[in-house]
Amino acid sequence: MKYGKTVLLALAGAVSMLPLQNASAETLHVFMHSYDMNLWQAVFDKYEASHKGIDIKVTVGGNTSEQQAQYLNTQMSAKDSTLDIINLDVVRPAQFAAAKWIMPLNDDLDGGTKYLDRYLSAYSKANVIDGEVAALPSRADAMMLFYRKDLLKKYDIDPPKTWSELSADAKKIQKQEGGDLQGLSFQGAAIEGAVCTFLLPYWSTGHTLVDKDGKLTFDMDAAVDSLKLWKGFVDDGVAPKNVAEIATDDTRQDFQRGAAIFAVEWPYAWNHFQNDADTAVKDKVGIVALPAVEGGKSATCLGGWQWGVSAYSNHKKDAVELTKYLASREVSKYIAIHGSLLPTFEDLYTDADVTKAVPWFADLLPVVQSAHARPVTPRYNEVSNAIRTTVNAVLAGQTSPEQGASQMQARLQRILR
Amino acid sequence: MSQAVADRQETEERQTVGGRFARLMDMGDGALAFWLLLPTAVLLLAIIVYPVCRLIYTSFLSLSLTSGLPASFAGLQNYRDMFADPVFWSSFWNTVIITVVTVPGALVVGMALALIANIPFRQRWAFRLALLVPWALPLAFCGLIFAWFFQSDYGIVNDVLRRLGLPTVIWFNSYAWATVAICLTTIWKTSSFMALIILAGLQTIPRSLYEAAEIDGAGRVRQFFEITLPLLRPAIAVALIFRTITALQTFDIPYTMTRGGPGTSTVTLAMYIRQNTVDFLDLGYGSALAVAMFALSMIVTVFYLRMIRRGA
Repeated sequence: MKYGKTVLLALAGAVSMLPLQNASAETLHVFMHSYDMNLWQAVFDKYEASHKGIDIKVTVGGNTSEQQAQYLNTQMSAKDSTLDIINLDVVRPAQFAAAKWIMPLNDDLDGGTKYLDRYLSAYSKANVIDGEVAALPSRADAMMLFYRKDLLKKYDIDPPKTWSELSADAKKIQKQEGGDLQGLSFQGAAIEGAVCTFLLPYWSTGHTLVDKDGKLTFDMDAAVDSLKLWKGFVDDGVAPKNVAEIATDDTRQDFQRGAAIFAVEWPYAWNHFQNDADTAVKDKVGIVALPAVEGGKSATCLGGWQWGVSAYSNHKKDAVELTKYLASREVSKYIAIHGSLLPTFEDLYTDADVTKAVPWFADLLPVVQSAHARPVTPRYNEVSNAIRTTVNAVLAGQTSPEQGASQMQARLQRILR
Repeated sequence: MSQAVADRQETEERQTVGGRFARLMDMGDGALAFWLLLPTAVLLLAIIVYPVCRLIYTSFLSLSLTSGLPASFAGLQNYRDMFADPVFWSSFWNTVIITVVTVPGALVVGMALALIANIPFRQRWAFRLALLVPWALPLAFCGLIFAWFFQSDYGIVNDVLRRLGLPTVIWFNSYAWATVAICLTTIWKTSSFMALIILAGLQTIPRSLYEAAEIDGAGRVRQFFEITLPLLRPAIAVALIFRTITALQTFDIPYTMTRGGPGTSTVTLAMYIRQNTVDFLDLGYGSALAVAMFALSMIVTVFYLRMIRRGA
């Protein structure tokens, strides 16, 4: 009798546990960068509130694109199932899809690849690899020229349209202002940003680095000119001598403390210039499209981040749902207003709510639309390394622009053969 | 006792544990040696011979985890690429330069430190303690600390140069200066290891030899060259072998100080292997590079072994 009672109690207990089991949260692990965390936490909180039973945990792994790639390289090679959703730089979907680290999303999206038509065309292009949707776009990005409105006004100078105008303007202001005011700050450290540094003037000449089929279309003259242009800024004293040590956030900090007239930067910096406690340039910052080379067209480097679903995830269905939400118009608008992150939807650039918060977005759409993508290849890490170490060596005076360009060509030929 | 009974007894004895042990003791020296060495041999096979063979095998494959393609036989392609790869050659020569500069450098500095530590004075313990610090410091920390020392704007090295009225240097902006910085750091870090081994060697030299030499009228310098140095030979040889092998594997200090920059000019062989295998996931090419490093280490080891044999 006593025995039977115990069994009954245990059964009752087990039954009462069942609904609890269902309601207990399924945890989705999201891998991303560690900056702008408050912004993203708000986005995740909103999703958790409307999706009972989903618990979102964030895993961070380094603050730069290369550091994150390094972390993911080991994690994904080990077929680790702890990550469900991965935040990817625009240059990575090709590698991750080829390695089968992220699952193709075609079957989970209405219309397959057509689902991407809602996004800016650069991002629908970047996220379709071999006819499969590899990831969904999170935010857009494009390099811009930041300038000191107050200084240009003081000397009655219009924002430069070409790099040589920029050089002349910078020298003029530097001479008048004196001190060690930098003319131009750009990225010369051997980081991902240095790839864009090299490609900006290169693209501006009208040349491409690879063709549609991923074959190398390296133009020696354009490459030499690009390296000469940047080295010239250093030799003329427009850029600082130690530019080979300067990474993206160093440029941001130098400009923020008022130490530079011009800066080649990504839009994230604008929020810091306006709102950081230590900013010396609040309301003194202008943003325009990057200058062109003489006789060329202005060109900028396409950035941006995507959401991919890990092929080793144990919660693929829920992960895909969350990914769709994170790449939705609603989220894109929210992060544009609250984080000055560029939208992936065309109409949001002129959306009244968005332009109220970030007025200069209205002028940005044509810039983003004409932005050039870095080469799409599974071996992008190697391509990037060949370019950025060469830029770094030339800026350090280690290699001449001519030698650098021919070394770069040789290394790229080996990688992209 | 009949023969049959005796035989049976012997069989029974053999079957007991004690009997088996007795039989083990009976077997020849060769067989005993075989069984005693077997565990070590199996362990060495598993952790050294197998990985080395596997490495050599992989170096003939086209195996890149980023390609999504299965491994395929590539013949000598990885090696052809390697010999045509300028970064391989510069990393090879950087490794050789770092070894050739820092091993003798650390030997000289380490010898000086050991001689000072061997002089009987009262605060010797403090000196010996200070000698241990660089040795105990992890290589990567050492690299990071010295990267700050050599930093162009606020590093202590440029600060001292400035105070002395000397021109300052952007250390990591040029191959030559970056290599100087790496070598100085490596010598600082490794000379204490040299000093420790040489100090142990110094303490085995009997004082009476020096006393006798003094009576014979030999000066300090002569004593050093006639007594100290010859008797230190074995200690120096051991220190050199250990130090050279680790120098060929130099990774931490240049990785943390320059990341291989400017450009790829200060990349060492070990750094290049890591970059190809971990960053690029090109295991085939990375293995070929590792085979090259293995070959280099073998050549140096054989050279030292011969030198020791000739000395003995």
